[in-house]
Amino acid sequence: MSAFSNISREARFLVKQRYFLALLSIVLLLSVFSVWSGISETKTQLSTIERLQEKDDVDRANVLAKQSDYGSAAYYTFHLTHSAPSAMAFAAMGQRDIYPWKHRIRMLALEGQIYETDSDNPELSFLGRFDFAFLISVLLPLFVILLLHDLRSAEREAGRYDLLIATASKQQRLWLSRASVLCTALAIALLLPFVIGALIMQAPLVSTLQVIAVVLGHILFWMLLTLWFTSSKVTVKQSSAQIASVLLAVWLGVTVLVPVASDIAIDEMVQSPNGGEIVLTQREAVNDAWDLPFAETWEPFIATHPQWKNYTEMNSQFEWKWYYAFQQVGDQKAAAISTAYREATFEKNTLAGRFAFLSPPMLAQKLLSSIAETDTLAAMKYEQEVRDYHQALRQFYYPLLFGNANRTETQSNQTINNKTTGNKAAFDPKALSKLPKFTTFKNTIDSSKENI
Amino acid sequence: MQKEMIVASSLCVRFAKQTVLDEVNFKVGQGEVFALLGGNGAGKSTTLKTFLGTIAPQSGTATVMGMSVTKDIDSIRQKVAYLPESVMLYGHLTGVENIKYFLSLADIEKSAPDIEQALMRVALQKSAWHRPMSNYSKGMRQKTAIALALLREAPVLFLDEPTSGLDPNAIDEFNRLIKTLAADGATVFMVTHDVYGACQVAHRIGLLDNGKIVGMFERKDQAHIDTEEVHAAFSARSQQ
Repeated sequence: MSAFSNISREARFLVKQRYFLALLSIVLLLSVFSVWSGISETKTQLSTIERLQEKDDVDRANVLAKQSDYGSAAYYTFHLTHSAPSAMAFAAMGQRDIYPWKHRIRMLALEGQIYETDSDNPELSFLGRFDFAFLISVLLPLFVILLLHDLRSAEREAGRYDLLIATASKQQRLWLSRASVLCTALAIALLLPFVIGALIMQAPLVSTLQVIAVVLGHILFWMLLTLWFTSSKVTVKQSSAQIASVLLAVWLGVTVLVPVASDIAIDEMVQSPNGGEIVLTQREAVNDAWDLPFAETWEPFIATHPQWKNYTEMNSQFEWKWYYAFQQVGDQKAAAISTAYREATFEKNTLAGRFAFLSPPMLAQKLLSSIAETDTLAAMKYEQEVRDYHQALRQFYYPLLFGNANRTETQSNQTINNKTTGNKAAFDPKALSKLPKFTTFKNTIDSSKENI
Repeated sequence: MQKEMIVASSLCVRFAKQTVLDEVNFKVGQGEVFALLGGNGAGKSTTLKTFLGTIAPQSGTATVMGMSVTKDIDSIRQKVAYLPESVMLYGHLTGVENIKYFLSLADIEKSAPDIEQALMRVALQKSAWHRPMSNYSKGMRQKTAIALALLREAPVLFLDEPTSGLDPNAIDEFNRLIKTLAADGATVFMVTHDVYGACQVAHRIGLLDNGKIVGMFERKDQAHIDTEEVHAAFSARSQQ
């Protein structure tokens, strides 16, 4: 008899079992809920970005209209930066629940603005949001265990086992067919809402297929593990409840204990400063600058921006160029600790990827977050975009603040003259129309990367 | 002797340190009804499960139609039908659906008239055929399983306490059926502690005690084996 006939027989058999249909209905509802909740959150984030974008433009125009010098314009204007969720983010919100995905930054020192909302709680993040990734990584193994743990023992307890195996022409084919039907039905109940969600969100086909592959791979792993365990000799005299207890202990171990233990081990292996330290270092540097001689600010600033060394003369106790220079110096002083923080985050992410091979649920979640572009790397990419954009703001304002409005930093570098004094450029509101916007800036960067 | 269909040769089965079957030897020929008689814990069910391949022997051999239970169990299972002591089929399926399901497991296809004929042969009332088996009595479940065994047309039947829980009429019907099957060439191996039933239907009876065959009784010229003789031997062993 063909494999199809076996599958077809078991499908007809199982479809008449009410508890099986009830369980599948529950799984389907959970999957629908997780997909709906993901789509809802994605749309909320997108509409939040859109709403903020509109208000950000209006707000900046209003603020700029009231300014009479470039320093005030730079000081009072905010600039929205954001990381829009990908079309697949509905399936795995990932690190978007931990790392901020929007900022309103100013021309002030950047480090404090990036890390003031820094938070870190990987245990909660793992067992947190009920999205599709949570359903697949955490609950899917439970469904497989629930469906397959008593594949043989239920027949033993019902007194049918001997009759079944004495009748079946190939014993292994019976259990494999039954398990395959159960797991195929489970996969359909889990994936059907996801596929519909992917169509609604117009997710790329490749990403959709990758998610399906992860789901099927995770089901296959738990199916083979459960089949192997339930067919082993140790389970012959164990009740269904005892077998389920052992499998649940395995699930608990790889779903909760391994990730938590990995997190502790990674924290021990990789020493990392926290975001608060970066904020504190940068803010102390900025606050101290008010009481220090001007030279203490100019020296480190000119070391990194030599093109402005002839424009540092101060004609009063306060000048915007000095103010922004010590903001820059504040960032420079926090740079080492900030770099260490980012390197540690990257290292932790790499190690977490390796530890994930000890925990299939953790691996499934990491893969789903990666496909959905909501993982740590995506968060770090956005953070870098914010840094690049902030750098672009500085490049825009410095020539205006240092009185060399018609030159870019590069041009100034090339044609640096021996002038010992510099006056700020005369305020021209039209010059601010070229103020870089994050969205335009990001699109330029993205398209240049694509061209490369 | 007719063709040897079931053979136990120096069969030994141990669970941990306990010897359950100890050098058991017997042969069952084609068309023969062989009953293995013994009290609780004598090793009857272990013998039967060894032939079904669910218990592996530590030493000795067990063969069915010349095939070893340790090497050719899949082939053996295609040739045998098994009737458990307490037939528990799927309660959510009807009698007919259960039969179809189990036949499909054995890669056997039977038409609806064939199934109905088998159910009539075991005298299962027609009104029950399409009712869920959760509503069946023990006797009705037993009859359904016998119908299944008939439909499999297996040359060898293994029966575990086949008349346990049946009413006297059903037992008589069952015994007649077994005799008919044997007359048609089927080999029947049954384990039981029902001395009277075994004597009525079996050609030979092996008395099993503490994992050893301690007596062998056979039908000579009589219509059935001498119940008194077997009963006396059985009681003597029980008292020891």
